[in-house]
Amino acid sequence: MSGKVFIPQDKLASALERLNEKVPVWVPVSQGADRWGIDFKPFRAGMVPVMDRQSTALPKEVIFPQVQTLMTFEYVKAPEDPGRVQLKLEEPPEAGNALVFGARPCDVRGFFTFDRVFTEGPFVDNQYKDRREKTLFAVLLCREADEACFCSSVGSGPADTAGGDLWITPVEGGYVVEGLSERGGSYVQLLGDPATEEQAAAASRSQEEVSRQKVGSLDPSGVVQGQKDRFEDKDFWRSMVNQCLGCGVCTYVCPTCYCFNITDEMRHSRGERMRSWDSCMFAVYTQEASGHNPRPTKLERYRNRVGHKFSYFPEKYDGMIACCGCGRCIRSCPVSIDIRKVVENLKERSHACA
Amino acid sequence: MSLLSERLGWIVFEAETKRLHELVKAVLPELDGIVGWEQGFDALHATPVFVNREEDVHRLMWSPLCVHNLSGYLVKTPPFLPRDEGRKVGICVKGCDSRSLVALEQEKFLGRDRLHIFGIPCEGTVDWRRVMKKIPLRGVSSVRREGPELKVEDSRGVHSLPWEESLARRCLRCAHPNPLVHDVLVRDPVEPRIKKDEAYGLVEEMDQKSLEERLAFWSAELDRCIRCYACRNACPLCVCQDRCIVETRDPKWLTQKMGISEKFMFHMIHSLHLAGRCTECGECERVCPMEIPVTLMKEKLNQITREILGYEAGIDSQLVPPLLTFNPGEHEL
Ligand code: SF4
Ligand code: SF4
Ligand code: SF4
Repeated sequence: MSGKVFIPQDKLASALERLNEKVPVWVPVSQGADRWGIDFKPFRAGMVPVMDRQSTALPKEVIFPQVQTLMTFEYVKAPEDPGRVQLKLEEPPEAGNALVFGARPCDVRGFFTFDRVFTEGPFVDNQYKDRREKTLFAVLLCREADEACFCSSVGSGPADTAGGDLWITPVEGGYVVEGLSERGGSYVQLLGDPATEEQAAAASRSQEEVSRQKVGSLDPSGVVQGQKDRFEDKDFWRSMVNQCLGCGVCTYVCPTCYCFNITDEMRHSRGERMRSWDSCMFAVYTQEASGHNPRPTKLERYRNRVGHKFSYFPEKYDGMIACCGCGRCIRSCPVSIDIRKVVENLKERSHACA
Repeated sequence: MSLLSERLGWIVFEAETKRLHELVKAVLPELDGIVGWEQGFDALHATPVFVNREEDVHRLMWSPLCVHNLSGYLVKTPPFLPRDEGRKVGICVKGCDSRSLVALEQEKFLGRDRLHIFGIPCEGTVDWRRVMKKIPLRGVSSVRREGPELKVEDSRGVHSLPWEESLARRCLRCAHPNPLVHDVLVRDPVEPRIKKDEAYGLVEEMDQKSLEERLAFWSAELDRCIRCYACRNACPLCVCQDRCIVETRDPKWLTQKMGISEKFMFHMIHSLHLAGRCTECGECERVCPMEIPVTLMKEKLNQITREILGYEAGIDSQLVPPLLTFNPGEHEL
């Protein structure tokens, strides 16, 4: 079959090396010899990508880094009049191209949420847009769904290729790779030898099989009303998330969480204006200058987190749910809070009310 | 969801769970409520639960997946139940967790007379990531202990792992598996795995390394830190809560940058604030999504505290922690 190549498992690193010469590649790698977690890192020679499980941290970092310099500034005395201080501004260097190898469908889908907010106006975030346009995704056919995953419940699925530029299908002994977009397609030949008919057929079989899978059984319909009905119900929120620690894990591992903070980090007369990830689970997130905090406890904070993803976002953006079902917040939560349970209960109790 | 919890779970620890239910039912009417554990979203996870009605008692469970130290819920805001000051609060504790209660009592955050403690002698808690690393599981349906082995059933069959290889690091270095304070014990006391002075092996190993090697080690580890502050929020003794120096802008101690120096600063302050107070429950390390061995820093400080002051936190509620005292006659420092 035309257009598909095969990368044997033991040639993956060298294929990535060739690719990396054309475009900087990010790959999922182990966090350490006896660690379970994997992380996306810029590829370096000798790195062995780990393709058999979802990453803990995200490829979100590639397009929306945890910290990003928006501009640098310096206060300088005007040479002709030292009594006058001028502000010198500098734009940060332009972002380069990137290709994320082995992103899962949920990882890519997360950016769809970002796109609505950052690129569709009324304000366009140029830094985001620039990186987004310059980043390609080689999406992995996901065969590793676990008990926390529910991507099929939120409009995606383990064989979803939306937003992908290349498609990686694991087969016996290696990977079959094919192009999905024009830009992605231009890298295919570089990665390996043309797939044999058998390899291509095995890949298609696997793709068909996986696309029939339904991952997760959550039904998010009716949540918008549930959120309204239960908004003031403290006992409900307490019964759902009393065990929450109020840390930032769920938001920082979430592919769709896009809230950020802006700070000026200065030293003497120079500084940077920085954008950094923020978390709605932190107390200071809504802390007002007066000292008043409209979301005084974790209950209100969690209510906002689930509300934003399953209610307010869909209300604003034609029904689109701001969750990609990757299950990371469930898996990484130190006290195993399950967002699916909260969503289910929001619905149930609101029916019971009516 | 309820179906899930009925289907999943431990087989061997049913006896302890049943006993716990009996003990709780017997005193629940006199309590304000009780915090314990229930089955989580899959067979490898439990989750904290708060119970104040008899019909919810069946949700409580005990198994080596009851990894969470629940004592922080007693002192952090908001209170987990609308409080009735006249009544006691029930709490389930393992050996390590009981030391947090002692430490909190030492620092006057808790009164012993306000608690009803269900003590659970513990043979170690399972670190699910360690298990997954050894056996990549898919669709875990049950987990149980059979003698020296952990048996896990998933979609591909039954897998086994030596028990000790499934345990959290904190459990392998635990000298106090039996609750030091309790009103009732849910099971018979167990034999400690190690003696007190054998607990600092990894610290000693680190001490053998050169400064450069240690710097390289911590730089690589902390490079992964995402500043989610789970380690801080999970610690029952991190009591500043929403007033932490890492987040205040005025005064400003830390920037929002992700450099190693910022993260070092955070972890050093975190550790120093716990010096001689930390009971080594290991929660900070357990909750870290990036698998950074953050308890190790506190272990080092505690080892120093032991050597210089002969003091161990969370053992004796009558003692005043050394860094909370001011004694002009002190000569070791
Ligand atoms: S809310 Fe949870 S499940 Fe949804 S995208 Fe975020 S991490 Fe994934
Ligand atoms: S610092 Fe870590 S080990 Fe020490 S008491 Fe706090 S959570 Fe437990
Ligand atoms: S829990 Fe881990 S990642 Fe989060 S702040 Fe602590 S050390 Fe860093």
